[in-house]
Amino acid sequence: MKYARVYAEDINVGDELPPLVKGPIQQIQLTRYAGASGDFNPIHQDDEFAKAAGMGGVFAHGMLSMGFVAQALTDWAGAGRVKKLGVRFAALVRLKDVVTCRGRVVSRSSKDDVHLVELEVWAENQRGEKVVSGRATIELPSRA
Amino acid sequence: MPIQINKGVLGKEFPPFAVTVERGKVKEFARAIGDLNPLYLDDRVGAASEWGDLIAPPTFAITFRDEGADTNALLRELGTDISRVLHGEQEFEIHRPLQPGQTYLCRAKVVDIYEKTGKSGPMAFVVRETAITDRDNEVVATMRAVTVVRL
Repeated sequence: MKYARVYAEDINVGDELPPLVKGPIQQIQLTRYAGASGDFNPIHQDDEFAKAAGMGGVFAHGMLSMGFVAQALTDWAGAGRVKKLGVRFAALVRLKDVVTCRGRVVSRSSKDDVHLVELEVWAENQRGEKVVSGRATIELPSRA
Repeated sequence: MPIQINKGVLGKEFPPFAVTVERGKVKEFARAIGDLNPLYLDDRVGAASEWGDLIAPPTFAITFRDEGADTNALLRELGTDISRVLHGEQEFEIHRPLQPGQTYLCRAKVVDIYEKTGKSGPMAFVVRETAITDRDNEVVATMRAVTVVRL
């Protein structure tokens, strides 16, 4: 269930994040993200500019895809639980692409009542190609 | 013929700048991502939460911009332009969620520059770190951005 409370004790290495499917990406979302983020690089808005820059046309802000990955984490663990998120932008996300965000728990640790879960996270397009890959650290509450 | 970038930018500290987070901006940012989490959007849910108010999504600090310290400022220093750059990597370390009404100080610094040749040709990687502190000078979050310049 979305926004359900997740506790540190319930998490095991190998657990998978519920996939989050976003898109198809539309130009209007890139325009909206530009306004919201302040990143007005024309490469995400102006097809001619993007072609002249050798990029073959407009593509989504990497930060939009990273925002999707962050949402996959917070839909699952709760807003405010992400302590660290680092990603590499592996491939461009184009208009009409569908982006699916995924993750898997790689480790769990508890120290001084701080319960951390580390995940590998990634996003892939409709062809299964990774567009984003990285790591995340989540802090979870304990049942105790 | 590959272009040259000014590697003297390594170590450069950009002028610090202050940002006061606007409530509407947090909501606009969450909606632009399509993330309708009530802790980002519903003032009453925020007020009743452990944070006492709305919080910002994990990547919100990317909106902290200043003409003297943004990517355009970096590109001017490097001697290149926006048509040659890509966002290579990004990292956020978040000690406490950012919140509306709070004023933060951002200090950005170029911490690394290296070159590599990829399948599309030679590229330079410029790594910037931005420390975000609150009014008590405590670090609330740190951002690390890798900008790729196609040479």
